[in-house]
Amino acid sequence: MAYAAPIQPTAPTGLSPQENEALQASIFQRLHPRAYLERFLAEGFRPDGRTLEGWRDVSVNTGSISTADGSALVRLGNTTVVCGVKAEIAEPELDAGNRGFLVPNLDLPAMCSPRFKPGPPADDAQVLSDRLNEALIASNILPLESLCIQPNKSVWVLYVDATCINYDGNAFDATLLAMVAALKNTRLPKTTYDELTKRTICSRKAERIPLDIKRTPVSASFGIFDSNRILSDPTAFEEPLLDTTLTVLLDNSTRELISVSQFGLGSASTDALGSCIQAAKKRWGESKDRIQL
Amino acid sequence: MGSSRPIEISFDGLARVDGSARFGFGDATAALASVSGPIEVRLASELPSQATFDVSVRPLSNVPSTESKSQASSIRSALAPSLILNKNPRTLIQLVVQTLSPTPISGPKWTDGLLGAMINASTLALLNAGSVPMRGAVCAIAVGKAQGGELLVDPEEDRTDELVQGGCFAFMVADGARLGSNSTSVWTNWRTLKGGTFNETEIAEAREAARDAVKRVYAAMKSSFLPGGASDPDEEKMET
Repeated sequence: MAYAAPIQPTAPTGLSPQENEALQASIFQRLHPRAYLERFLAEGFRPDGRTLEGWRDVSVNTGSISTADGSALVRLGNTTVVCGVKAEIAEPELDAGNRGFLVPNLDLPAMCSPRFKPGPPADDAQVLSDRLNEALIASNILPLESLCIQPNKSVWVLYVDATCINYDGNAFDATLLAMVAALKNTRLPKTTYDELTKRTICSRKAERIPLDIKRTPVSASFGIFDSNRILSDPTAFEEPLLDTTLTVLLDNSTRELISVSQFGLGSASTDALGSCIQAAKKRWGESKDRIQL
Repeated sequence: MGSSRPIEISFDGLARVDGSARFGFGDATAALASVSGPIEVRLASELPSQATFDVSVRPLSNVPSTESKSQASSIRSALAPSLILNKNPRTLIQLVVQTLSPTPISGPKWTDGLLGAMINASTLALLNAGSVPMRGAVCAIAVGKAQGGELLVDPEEDRTDELVQGGCFAFMVADGARLGSNSTSVWTNWRTLKGGTFNETEIAEAREAARDAVKRVYAAMKSSFLPGGASDPDEEKMET
């Protein structure tokens, strides 16, 4: 062997020196993930080459699912989420006769990452679905009264179903973006309620109507490593090593705050919430034009 | 700033668990928590260098839904910083929280008061068990901001309709001579309730009001353990 490997007693044959180094680095990453991340952060970078406050590229593609009333596909780095909106008609609740329903759901199937097993939705998916529901309610993206067809008789139910097809961390941001894009892409048929037959009739010929979207929320998520390093947009490798998650929800057009949450111990040295809010505003200020849906 | 409701703490003494406690903001918002641990852990959830901390939430009515899972995850992330889990590796600390107040079925729900009560009940149950070393006591309180700009700490159920912003704040509080400010924020959730927006000074204001109010919660917790004002030399409760 021309190249002597200092760590391993026997080096694998048939690999070039560069491949050998890369193999040793990935073994180190698997066996000691925390130390691996610490070494990178000490240099001011993260394993994928970004700076601590760097963001991954986002791409949004709408309207690709023709059988859904609205759809969107979002890629946030390697995290890929598909979202479809299906509308159904239902009777409203007794005490809210003129409000429709918005039912968001995120599914993390076994296909997207080895950490999710097949079977009923795991805790991660349930918690994320609930947080997304709260985010959509807090942002008041769609007044539920606009989904009313006939008060106390017939309303729209919008099922916003998102599926992650590749999980590389930060599913919340990607899914919120996908849901908002899908809702903006949604077109509902023109409907009338017939009092005589007590049925709701949808028109096939008339032009479909878009939803009354009042606000476009966007989110920025962060994690805190070792109580003092704030990492923005964590990947699937970094996520299990972070003790704290912070999420900031903003209005896309005015960049004002809709919701701020911090789960876990804050930073020991700085005001983590304050600096995350600044970073979130900066992030969505720059790429505001790119996310025109 | 509005005044908060009287705090009610009792230790029911559930028979089959290591520790239990009941916490209520008045009698409208209350929760019961029980702690068992360190106990035997399932092989699948065993961790080699620390104890597994598992939280479940049971609502008052209905089977547990995704909302209960989300509340359990929130309670877990609020309490985890206060527990020293590496003293008991390969064991399980199981916390079960039962809500004792109903949540409204439809319409916008204000559950932050209940979440605060659940976190406080959990801390008390862990202290009551005394079997898990802790860095501090996590105390939580809900804060809301009404239309006119009035900050309401621990708003009553019938005033929650007037709120335009609101959220729950949890702090880890520890007594110690060398600590400058003895409370650290461990959980925050602040959002608009009626589709408006807010700015950073408003959330900073609310957080400081909550930090101040949490002192009252902490004092109530302490006095529930030290009857008659006698000092109790139980060192395993607080470690600085």
